[in-house]
Amino acid sequence: MGEQKKEAIGAVAIKMADIVMECKNLWKTYGKITAVKDVSLKIQECDIKLIFGPSGSGKSTFLRCLAMLTSPTKGDVFLKGECLTKEGIDLNKARARIGFVFQHIWLFHHLTALGNVELALRRVLKLPKKEVKERAMQALRDVKMEEWAHHYPAQLSGGQQQRVGIARALTRCPDIILLDEPTSALDPELTGEVIDTLRDLAKKGTTMLIVSHEMPFAREVADEMIFFDEGTIVEIGPPELFFTNPQSERAKKFMARLIKKTRRE
Amino acid sequence: MLGGVSATLLISIFSFFLGLAIGLVLAFMKAYGSKPTQILIDVFEKIFRGIPELVLMLLFYFGIGFGLGYQFPNPFRNAFFTVTFVLGLRSAANQSQIFKGAIRGLGEEQMVVARSLGLSRLQSVIHVMIPQVFIFSAPGLGSEYALLVKDSSYAFIIGVVEMMAITDWIRKGTGDTVTPYLLAAFLYIILTFPIATWLDTWGSRRKKQLGL
Repeated sequence: MGEQKKEAIGAVAIKMADIVMECKNLWKTYGKITAVKDVSLKIQECDIKLIFGPSGSGKSTFLRCLAMLTSPTKGDVFLKGECLTKEGIDLNKARARIGFVFQHIWLFHHLTALGNVELALRRVLKLPKKEVKERAMQALRDVKMEEWAHHYPAQLSGGQQQRVGIARALTRCPDIILLDEPTSALDPELTGEVIDTLRDLAKKGTTMLIVSHEMPFAREVADEMIFFDEGTIVEIGPPELFFTNPQSERAKKFMARLIKKTRRE
Repeated sequence: MLGGVSATLLISIFSFFLGLAIGLVLAFMKAYGSKPTQILIDVFEKIFRGIPELVLMLLFYFGIGFGLGYQFPNPFRNAFFTVTFVLGLRSAANQSQIFKGAIRGLGEEQMVVARSLGLSRLQSVIHVMIPQVFIFSAPGLGSEYALLVKDSSYAFIIGVVEMMAITDWIRKGTGDTVTPYLLAAFLYIILTFPIATWLDTWGSRRKKQLGL
């Protein structure tokens, strides 16, 4: 854990023990295929957890279940103690409190960068016009995109688009942000600017669950790393553990491959 | 002649917007609705796309309008209403197809993102899907409008005084069998071409600009 981050956390240390998001025995199956298998996880306030693992191992599906973008087959999801998987809950309200950043970004094509960020403030939080604009501009400033506020997604580079995507997920001040491989659709030279943005968020004590294979970044900011394979958590521990001495065979193999690949790059 | 032009325009515009409103609802209900809803909409589309509009107009005007008479306030006794109604529903079936293609072309993603922000399904449709669906559909809507202007000429058969009816009067009055029809043909071009072309170019320009 970085020095700066510790300081940031110090201010909210009292709340440290609060569990923001939790899932218990979560399953997701599509017909005969099991995408997520009996996963339980707790994420505390200001926690940064990083999920990694082979592609097709169910990481994205798991994240989508947590955000209730797809309903889990079995198991429960809790957001600040409130169960999202029980009948009759207002899922729109719940989703408004969860930020989600997508791998392929998916900005709204017909809206400018500012319009993308404003939409939820205006339609979900229903804030007055002036406040919508102020908060949206602030969010763009946070990701260093305020100069591009009036550009359409098609006029932005991939990295810039993803920064707008992050701003869009952030403006509502969600309880937690889930990021699904936020850099993997980007060229290596554009990855850096997105990573910088995430680093800034980490310093501010944002609660995040990130699917990523950016190992240097993981080592720097993650409180805990989660190795995910075949739909379930194989190993969980501090980054140092994974970099020095992963316990499970599968994690060992995967880390070796990842580190080799990172060196090549 | 000008009175005829305005009747033609009114039929075309009213039926276009009637078709737009119903067509949009049908397209989204078909995209996100349950299986029975989808089948029901399919049947509606098949009926209104499969039966010639002339047959439908005569059926509604004579069959319902005169067949059922004054047993209840019967709007189908009004020829203008009947024509607009039939063309509007036929257009709804067509426009629903156009919009459905656009929804499919746009893909699931925009909807997923909108929902992830906490927007309800209806809000996502209104604020995210529809503005983009229109851009995709613009060229198709242009030709649909042209189709309506042309098909509004059937109205003269059940006695609406529109362009064709007046053209026919002029032919009868003057005995000239060429000029009135050439004039009508020219006016139909004027009424269809600019709007259809404008929608087409607007759509392609927006599409390019937004990288769709």
